[in-house]
Amino acid sequence: MVFYIIKRLLYIALILVAMSVLIFSITQALPGNVAHVIAGQFATPDVIAAIERKLGLQDPLPLQYWRWVSGILVGNLGESLIMERPIAPILGEAIGRSAVLAAFSIVLVTVFGIGLGLLAAIRHNRPLDHGISVFTYVGISVPEFFWGIVLILLFVGYFQWLPAGGYGDLGKGLGVWLSHLILPTATLTFTLIAHVSRLTRSSMLETLASQYVKNARAKGLPERIVLVRHALRNALLPTITVLAVDVGWLFGGIVVVETVFSFPGLGRLLVFAIERRDLPLIQSSILIVSGIYCFANLIADLLYAYFNPKIRYGRAHS
Amino acid sequence: MSEPVLDVQGLTISYETPGGRIRALDDVGFRIGAGEALAIVGESGSGKSTVALAVLGLLAAEAHVHGGTIRFQGRDLDALAPNDRRALRGNRISVVFQDPFTSLNPSLPIGLQVAEPLLHHKGMGRDDAHQRVLAALAEVGLPRADELARAYPHQLSGGMQQRVLIATALICEPALVILDEPTTALDVTIEAQILDLLEELRRRRRLSILFISHNLGVVSRLSDAICVLYAGKVLETGPTREVLLKPSHPYTKGLLASLPRLSAGGRVPRLSPIPGRFPNLAALPTGCVFHPRCPYVEDRCKTETQTLAEAGHNLRARCWKAESLAGAPWPEAIHAQSTVGAAGERAKTLVRIEDLRKEFRLGGMFAGVEMGWTKGRGPYVRARPMRVKAVDGVTLQIAPGEVLGLVGESGSGKSTLGRCLIRLLEPNGGRIVFADQDVTTAPERKLRTLRKEAQIIFQNPDSSLNPRKTVGDIVGRPITLFNAAPKAERPRRVAELLGKVGLSVAYAGRYPHQLSGGEKQRVGIARALATEPRFIVCDEAVSSLDVSVQATILNLLSDLRDNLGLAYLFISHDLSVVAHIATRIAVMYAGAVCEEGPTQNLLKPPYHPYTEALLSAIPLPDPRAAARQRIRLRGDAPGSGSSARGCRFAHRCPRKLGPICDEQAPPAVDAAPGHRIACHIPLDELRKIPPVLG
Repeated sequence: MVFYIIKRLLYIALILVAMSVLIFSITQALPGNVAHVIAGQFATPDVIAAIERKLGLQDPLPLQYWRWVSGILVGNLGESLIMERPIAPILGEAIGRSAVLAAFSIVLVTVFGIGLGLLAAIRHNRPLDHGISVFTYVGISVPEFFWGIVLILLFVGYFQWLPAGGYGDLGKGLGVWLSHLILPTATLTFTLIAHVSRLTRSSMLETLASQYVKNARAKGLPERIVLVRHALRNALLPTITVLAVDVGWLFGGIVVVETVFSFPGLGRLLVFAIERRDLPLIQSSILIVSGIYCFANLIADLLYAYFNPKIRYGRAHS
Repeated sequence: MSEPVLDVQGLTISYETPGGRIRALDDVGFRIGAGEALAIVGESGSGKSTVALAVLGLLAAEAHVHGGTIRFQGRDLDALAPNDRRALRGNRISVVFQDPFTSLNPSLPIGLQVAEPLLHHKGMGRDDAHQRVLAALAEVGLPRADELARAYPHQLSGGMQQRVLIATALICEPALVILDEPTTALDVTIEAQILDLLEELRRRRRLSILFISHNLGVVSRLSDAICVLYAGKVLETGPTREVLLKPSHPYTKGLLASLPRLSAGGRVPRLSPIPGRFPNLAALPTGCVFHPRCPYVEDRCKTETQTLAEAGHNLRARCWKAESLAGAPWPEAIHAQSTVGAAGERAKTLVRIEDLRKEFRLGGMFAGVEMGWTKGRGPYVRARPMRVKAVDGVTLQIAPGEVLGLVGESGSGKSTLGRCLIRLLEPNGGRIVFADQDVTTAPERKLRTLRKEAQIIFQNPDSSLNPRKTVGDIVGRPITLFNAAPKAERPRRVAELLGKVGLSVAYAGRYPHQLSGGEKQRVGIARALATEPRFIVCDEAVSSLDVSVQATILNLLSDLRDNLGLAYLFISHDLSVVAHIATRIAVMYAGAVCEEGPTQNLLKPPYHPYTEALLSAIPLPDPRAAARQRIRLRGDAPGSGSSARGCRFAHRCPRKLGPICDEQAPPAVDAAPGHRIACHIPLDELRKIPPVLG
């Protein structure tokens, strides 16, 4: 197991190196550069050249890449060109807020997605199953920003219970903090809950039809034990894998939701940086997102191994 | 007579399906006394598994019980509350299902799975239960029970998994055990071990057994009485010996006539299968359910519903003619005339392989390194083999119009060999010569002749026919690909091919899911014949079929060989099937051929100890043969390509000589012209071995 984790960490390091090269090349290919943005619309070529020199934008690309990467290796993410502040604290703050949003979402998706899926499977072809089916179908077929707008109209415009957007500092009280999180989280999770619950339902149905569940019933075990001990554990295997993939999906969702709700997290920071051609900020944000995604997959695989002895113990050797 | 353990009377069950209501069981009744074993025999669709589920109380929601009683030790099971019913399951009534590979939960340790009935029915603690589990595992012949209890199902072989399931079924000391095809998914050698175990357990514990099987040979080993089920009705019932030796119902006679029999005398030219096809359960024939397929049919059979009546000597049969038919044999099929196969042709060689090798690579980047942790000894790193030698130096040849049988246990490499032979897999070494052309390494575009002249029929027609294509498309595709007939001629050619395999033209428009198993296999054969090949690899082509269908397909294959001069490589794990159709047989073990020779030579001494073991493992449907001497192999078949220096079979060989077997590869000795045996035992000794078959 330890060997496996080390192996995976090595792979992750490799992936991140490859990603850094990729991110760097793609951002270089973006049209326009930050000097134009800083100098404004009517700047003369001289001014732009001066800014470019100052920022090192005229150096050869490998040198620029090296400057960036060697900085990261010693924990220095560089400086935002637009804000003229070190990136690390800006990113840290944004990630912290987005992480809260993501954590709430993942918990909700796991609990409700798996829960609804199981309920539907156990009540297969009964009214409850059909109800959940309709709900999840609507959930996956309508894009999330639509729900964001509907929720704002309802809870902000009509009921006026919740703030329309922004971020409430924890210092202002738990209520304020939570009230700013409810709508973004709800918007973010609706589609994912639908996705996970449909998957869990079909995987649970498959498991319930399996020979070993039939065998467990033939042993005269109480239905509760058959469901929890024999079916659930095996049915969750595909769900775990998909949850990890959904974490990546979640980041895409965060960008949209943070924009809709003006939530000052990683997603909005990224959109801001791209608009202003703030290359160091773009590069570092994307690299961080890649890293988080890699680790989410690692955790999912470890969980998978925990649930699946075939992976844990390898194959039988004679 | 004391009260029976299980008394089923008038059981009638139907299923609601989209195609209409299907009557699965109709007025089924039987009794099992204490210590008795009753076998329910039938082909697929007969309703035999429904009986098991009804007794257990595990019928699907679509099942509807119309009538009948199931009494267990005097108690009416249907009158019990669901919880009381559940308290009997796994406790007083237990079951062993067909497929051990899927019956154990992959993510729970063996020990817990065996202990569960004790924990829930006997209220035992885990520690007490553990001791009982260890004893139970030892009783079913599993070594190192302590280690095994901690293992997971994927670490066990199929035979071991089935022993675990038997231990689970017996752990609460039930009064009745239901065995639902307990050996069908296993190799014949492992099947023999499991049958021995069940026989011994039954004697020792005086178990009452409800045994469900399609295999009359297996049934004859284990049961006192037989109940023959057809389309949900009991057609005949009586003591095992009477039913198998003096069957009175025409269906039973037909079932027995369909079985390929092994005899030391060599092959029987032709089987006599039951004509027609299994009835549609949603629209059963009037009168006797069997009348459309019965050779003794009269007008009265078509209108008069038959009742189960005494047919002499403890037998009861659902046939008004049963008494007059007693002793009447099943009419023999007409012999087809052999048109080719002259000795001159046989002397030539169509396919020749020399020293053929095929290796498979295992796993990914780190598959060659195994790391782990031994308790008390710390971490270890060791190399593990990254390659499996599936076929390891096989030399064979097949003449035009000849049938070479290839037998061996699963994992012996026989399918890999078959696929390499026609270049569906690329061999790693050796030579393949087809029709005097070396095709070992020829690129695909130069293989047109081979692709046209060498075909394959797969085991499972369900997965080898494209479900979205009609039968006509499936059979017509090779004709188009090889331009085997002008475009206008093609529909006629498809009809002709379907005719050859005994299907009417109407089938051309149907899809595979509309066909029965036997019909699908016929389509598979027609597809293989479409390019007018000279050689066909039959890879377990009849293994998944019911006996009566299997007999029809075997006859069809023999006719095609005789009429078209086809040569086959006939791969099967079933030696009686192979011995029926093949003129020569090669026996494969762990990637290599250990014996090869003409069929009649192979079935009697001298033979390789492995051949002897395979022969004695075959369950014969003859109660008189039950006392024959049996050779049993220990352990399981190895994954192919164990890297032993000596004889591959040495570790399981009951006649092992000594260290020489482990250290030196056995020499191939000619026992007779064309009969090679690779064994260290001197030929004279091998000749003295008493024959397995009488």
